[in-house]
Amino acid sequence: MYAYELETNPYPSSPTPTEKDARILGGKRHKEAKSAILECIKELSQKVSGRDSNGGDFRVITLIQDVGSGKTHLALHIRNLQSRHNTVCTFLDLSTISPKTMPSLYNAIVKGFEDEFFVQLRTKLLEYIRDRAEQGDNSAKKALDYTFIDRLSGVTIRQEVDDIISGKKGVSVENLKKFLIQRFNHYESTIITSVITNSFDSITNLEELLGRLTAISKLTQRFLGKIILYEIDEFDGNHESIEFVKAIINAHIPASVVLLISTPSGYAEIQSMNASVFDRLEKANYKIDLAGSNSVDELSEIVLEYIKYNDKQGKFKQQAQDDLAEKIRVLYDEFPDFRSVRSIINILYHAIEKSQELNLSKIDEFAIDETIKHTYPGLKVRGSVMDVPISDFIKIRRNCNNEDVGLQLKKAVANLVNFAHEMGNIGKLEKQNQPLDIIYQDPYGSKIGVAVVMNQNHSKNFEEISNVSKSSALVDKLVILTNTNLPSSNSATIVNIDKSKMIDLIYFDSKYTSHKIKTSDNEKAQMLAKTVSII
Amino acid sequence: MVLNKIQEMRCMEDEVLKKISSLGINGIKRIELKRTFGINCENILENLIEKQQVFIGKKGNAYFVWTKENYLLKSSQDEPKIKKIQNNITKLIHAKSKITNHMHDVQNTINVLHQINPNIDFKIEFDKCLTESSTSIGWMPFSQIRKKICESKQISSDHFYTLASELVEKHRENYEISSGGKEGIMTRGLVHGFVRNV
Repeated sequence: MYAYELETNPYPSSPTPTEKDARILGGKRHKEAKSAILECIKELSQKVSGRDSNGGDFRVITLIQDVGSGKTHLALHIRNLQSRHNTVCTFLDLSTISPKTMPSLYNAIVKGFEDEFFVQLRTKLLEYIRDRAEQGDNSAKKALDYTFIDRLSGVTIRQEVDDIISGKKGVSVENLKKFLIQRFNHYESTIITSVITNSFDSITNLEELLGRLTAISKLTQRFLGKIILYEIDEFDGNHESIEFVKAIINAHIPASVVLLISTPSGYAEIQSMNASVFDRLEKANYKIDLAGSNSVDELSEIVLEYIKYNDKQGKFKQQAQDDLAEKIRVLYDEFPDFRSVRSIINILYHAIEKSQELNLSKIDEFAIDETIKHTYPGLKVRGSVMDVPISDFIKIRRNCNNEDVGLQLKKAVANLVNFAHEMGNIGKLEKQNQPLDIIYQDPYGSKIGVAVVMNQNHSKNFEEISNVSKSSALVDKLVILTNTNLPSSNSATIVNIDKSKMIDLIYFDSKYTSHKIKTSDNEKAQMLAKTVSII
Repeated sequence: MVLNKIQEMRCMEDEVLKKISSLGINGIKRIELKRTFGINCENILENLIEKQQVFIGKKGNAYFVWTKENYLLKSSQDEPKIKKIQNNITKLIHAKSKITNHMHDVQNTINVLHQINPNIDFKIEFDKCLTESSTSIGWMPFSQIRKKICESKQISSDHFYTLASELVEKHRENYEISSGGKEGIMTRGLVHGFVRNV
């Protein structure tokens, strides 16, 4: 049993999404992008419904976002929905095709369709020929290889076609071609023959490629009442890719939507490589914007969605969701490595595995700590002098906004001064003299005063700093530790205590008070004392 | 010779002015000046009137001469309207001085703010470049912004990227960066050469 009583690990482990993973779509921005794509499909679908499509029934959608932001995931998710939206979809990953010749691109497009699509189209096409044969069209009967003997032996045209559909019998290819050429154009005839015989032959040039794609779209709309969505992933500045996409856009393939997926970098390459294609992309019918797809809120929603989808028994309650979201926020804030959908999903996959290994009911700080140690061994908390373990870091950081953090820090700084004294870095400590928190002598006998001014309200800090500065006459050097960003003045050295220093100090304090400072920690603690100008 | 004469005239002018000034708002009779300084006094008076250093007015039947300041003082005492105007002018001068002081305060505050956060200017400039030149999808190469800002602010490329990194990190909710390109911010071991406002 996994954490949150899940039966399986809900997160995918593959570096790029698979169709199975793409069944789940989380995040407000991703869902909005999905709605926009479906809206475009719906609009075109309604427009061509009940009539023959033409070149005006063509749409271009662009989806441009950084790597690992969930573009391909979204495209595959839409592909999974095709049956529900009167759409047939083919997914073409340009990065997997080399060399990008017209035949290889055509083959990839054909392979990108689901098998079920061709089965449905084949059935409809054979039913069409059957209807013609039943109406007395001899060329249709010949195409079906329905002979006089069949008729004498009591086999009906319907039975004959059923046998062809089920694969028990075949058609007469030669007669089929003769039948088709009277009713369809060359490319449509070729496609119908290929679909009925389950054998797609190759193409030799661009004209053929466009002719056949147009034929597939027109036949799909006519016989299945569906439009085609061409999803073209990893579109970049590659010359062949650009020429291919330019041709597709210029051909205005009827009853079709082309979804072009790229990165800002790829988009810039296209801009520099081919101005005319770039201009076409700039004028795309829909520009799907995944802005904020890597924001912390979006990532949290995506992460939670995976668990919710797999939580069949409703055990993943609000509190557990909030708790996990909080951990995601810390990971996001402190580690730039986890600021994309792909990377956060990856860490969550490992964290779920780790929590199962540790027999934990939820992903806690320890599980995350262990996961990061094993999966990202080189990763450290940014700016941490004390090498605070991530689990402690998450715990301390959670309390950093509390009102009493100022008191904790005063105590931590006092202990750090004590530590520096014990280590012989500073001279004797003197009696506290308000408003200074600590007074001691440096190795040269100069009197140093330290004041900790930490408030959530920065105006209050300004006021306190101004008051404390008046005490500079009492000491030779005044050090003010504060969370307000201020420059040092003649009267005081101001040390800015940011979140990582704050956590370092509190972590040091907890170790110091529980007598857990090891020899290996001495150097780090001395370094910490230096960074806050105590030594 | 001519120089001596000019010098002599200047000395006499100073003396005449001193004499007029010494009598305050009462002024001095023109005739008395003539008596004291002789016939040349008329030319000197003309000169001083032209330079608006003295003013002549009638008091009773006689012509009196005042210095500019004393004449204004006398007029404001004699004429309530002039007194009012003078009061208003004084108030205006005070108001102007207050505004000037405020302006100095504001400037000082701005200077302090800039000292505290030198990135304020950079952010404004950065956002301006981003808004001016981005494509329809909003993304823009860092290199283009870098060129503009380094030129206008006279900073090095390294300094630009230090400031840009700080800016993007500090305002994560406002900016999005994307990998790729030849130069940019290093994140997750990748060059992120594109940026946009969210």
